[in-house]
Amino acid sequence: MSSLRQRFPSAWRLVATLLLLVLAVALSFVLSPLDDSKLAGGAAISIVILGLSWLIGWSGQVSLGNAGFMAIGAYVTAIWANHHATSPIVWSLVLSTVIGGLSGLVLALPATRLRGPYLAGMTLAFSFAVTPLALNWRGFTGGSGGLFINFLSTPAWFGGLFSGPDALIRANAQWPADVTLVVAAVAFYFMANLFHSRVGRAMRLVRDNEVAAELSGVNLQRARTLAFVISAAYAGLGGSVMTLLSGSVTPQTYGLTLSILLLTLMVLGGIGTLSGAILGGLIYSYSDNLVSLVNKVSGINPTSTLGANLKGIVFGVLLILTMMLAPRGLVGAGAWLRRAARR
Amino acid sequence: MIRVAGLSVTYGAVRALRDVSFEAPTGQITTVIGANGAGKTTLLRSISGLARAEGSIRLDERELLGMATEDVARLGVAHVPEGRGVIAELTVEENLRLGTLASKVPLAESLASQYAQFPALERRRRNYAATLSGGERQMLAMARALIARPSVLLLDEPSLGLAPQVTAETMRTIAQLCASESLTVILVEQNAKSALRIAHDAVVLHLGQVAAAGPSREIAADPELRRYYLGVAS
Amino acid sequence: MGSFLASRLMTDIFGGLATGTVIALIALSLVIIWQSTHVLNFAQGAMGMFATFVGMNLVFHGLNYWWCLALSVVTGMALGALTERVLIRPLYGKPEINPIVVMIGFLGVLEAIIASIWTTNISMLPSPFSEIYYEAGRRTILVSPFVIYEVIVVALVLSGIALLFRRTNLGLQMRAAALSPEVSRLLGVRVGRLLTFGWALSTGVGTLAAVIVSTGQVLAPTNMDGIFVSAFIAAAVGGLESPTGAIIAGVSIGLVEQFILDFWSTSVAPLSGVIVLVIGLAIRPQGLFTRQVSRRV
Repeated sequence: MSSLRQRFPSAWRLVATLLLLVLAVALSFVLSPLDDSKLAGGAAISIVILGLSWLIGWSGQVSLGNAGFMAIGAYVTAIWANHHATSPIVWSLVLSTVIGGLSGLVLALPATRLRGPYLAGMTLAFSFAVTPLALNWRGFTGGSGGLFINFLSTPAWFGGLFSGPDALIRANAQWPADVTLVVAAVAFYFMANLFHSRVGRAMRLVRDNEVAAELSGVNLQRARTLAFVISAAYAGLGGSVMTLLSGSVTPQTYGLTLSILLLTLMVLGGIGTLSGAILGGLIYSYSDNLVSLVNKVSGINPTSTLGANLKGIVFGVLLILTMMLAPRGLVGAGAWLRRAARR
Repeated sequence: MIRVAGLSVTYGAVRALRDVSFEAPTGQITTVIGANGAGKTTLLRSISGLARAEGSIRLDERELLGMATEDVARLGVAHVPEGRGVIAELTVEENLRLGTLASKVPLAESLASQYAQFPALERRRRNYAATLSGGERQMLAMARALIARPSVLLLDEPSLGLAPQVTAETMRTIAQLCASESLTVILVEQNAKSALRIAHDAVVLHLGQVAAAGPSREIAADPELRRYYLGVAS
Repeated sequence: MGSFLASRLMTDIFGGLATGTVIALIALSLVIIWQSTHVLNFAQGAMGMFATFVGMNLVFHGLNYWWCLALSVVTGMALGALTERVLIRPLYGKPEINPIVVMIGFLGVLEAIIASIWTTNISMLPSPFSEIYYEAGRRTILVSPFVIYEVIVVALVLSGIALLFRRTNLGLQMRAAALSPEVSRLLGVRVGRLLTFGWALSTGVGTLAAVIVSTGQVLAPTNMDGIFVSAFIAAAVGGLESPTGAIIAGVSIGLVEQFILDFWSTSVAPLSGVIVLVIGLAIRPQGLFTRQVSRRV
């Protein structure tokens, strides 16, 4: 297995992605409609996490602005869908990705001249500005009410796969989930190749040793900008999928809190890895279950104010603990366990 | 007096010092010489608690190993590090004021005594240390180390980057201070010739181990030992 | 004269100065932490707000405003010291994003805790001074006794900190510890304690700013969010290394925001910070007020 992987890396990645996709789609047939929609949400978020993971793990830049790029992707999809109701969703996805990436470029031009803390602060400022901007530019964004679009219509052939009394409900819940899984698979496949490309290796060098990177002919600023743009494009794509899944977009969704959550999920999963992004997405899917578990164990009344804010506390504490005790996240912990078992 | 016994330092897989033992008596200069990478700087750093070491380092009867750097300094061990450690962004006088923190002598008095010793510094007391020449920086580093009236002076390559006359001058000052203040001086030098000239005893380090130790006149006279501290040159 | 003071221009200048001085105060608190420990404290606003809640909440239980202010600042200092010891100290020497991420997590925790403990509180925090604007002739000038008090307090604290750093042995040691920790330790400076003190001082200053921001407002967990971003931008534009730069940039950002709000549009106002940051850093990426020092390789 491992020798195949080394000899045909690109084919291996394609096969691995397809296998995972088939597995996930098969799983969606088994799971309940509720779990399907959770899975879909997780897959959408994992796209954004992957983009952030690439930015932080591979180019060493921190961004607190990815929720902002998600918002841009989400609004682009909603506005496009409302004007071109009949166009295939592929166009929404592509458009959101491209505009997400372009807005990333606009922010990157000054941002990538900045080093660590300056950059993080600049994206923080962007993050804080998103919600008020969306509230103010009512003409585009529908103000505080947000925008609504029609849910994805399930094609007849897909509906035909289901039978029984709740066939329609199951088909309608599962179709968006499977579409999301396909989109995520494409995004992951592209990123897997990017990780192992010349660009990926150059990016690692930029992160670890700027001087060596410059000496070997890498243009630092261009490399950083590229990393930032790709990350923003992934966020735009993720935001687009979120809109397609939920059928709406509201300004409050994409504030600083979401940026912090994205960072948390990425760190929990494992910075700079594909599996870490998948794990992060899964944690997002079941975060409510996790929080209610903490609720149950600690005996906190979920309707109290503390219960209402428990999510922020749980994820904040998890973020701090992971960073201090296991900075490589679940993926790192898994690798450590495997090594320990082998000994 | 400083008594080092069985001192070992490892950095990861690299053993920087292995079972080093020697004594540096009060009122004398003990020089530590050896090629680049022999472990000279590491030795001084472990005395000051900057490098984690095993073994024993005693100041008179007190065990220094395991103490925090700040506490070693406050016991009267002054350490002029490699590159002199002058803080360029502070003025000359601010650098000197930092030196007095470890002592109980009143500030004005300490400053006056150092300015008497190094008049050039008084003229430049309001200038940033960044503007000083190499020789002046050396003066400042020495003055800052001595201002707290230490009992031990650790010097790491004081001659580095200095012109030959300035080096000779510096060495003379060290010898004179050692005698007048009855200091225990441990002098780490690349420039073995001038160090051996003023030192009473010498320790030759080779690849982290003591290759030879004894009165510096004997060490200087031994042609076998030269290849250790003169490096490939011979 | 009266009409000049009440003109649109002067009104904007007064309003901008009132916010600008507070921005400068928070920016300075960020610079203190940055200089001593090279951590950019993203939780600074939330930490100040937490301490403000602990102290100022007692105003509603009948305690005197000034006692509550003192209690808030002391709480803030303790919180800052504790944070440095528990969250930051284990991360020295780790990649620079580790402390950033940890402090972002702490920001999330603090905001959630504040929101869960003090939600029921919707009362206005009363001001010790009148907030009624003065009048010149028959026109209003945007200056009230409270604004004057605020500017005086900020000026006093800023000069106090300048004195501390420039004139005292403690300040000298703090500067030395930040510039060259190892050499400082060799001279007997207790660097560890100074770092803790730096965090305590900074959070104390941040808390004072949070109390000023919250006075005359509803005590809400998000009071510091917007102004913290402005302060961050001020610190960045001023060039994290320079206290003077942070103060000048802080006051300028207060003015710029006020003018954008008044002359351009309220929709752009949330972006004004980003605009200032982009322009400022496009001119000099290392900050407007830092001396150019070559990066060590």
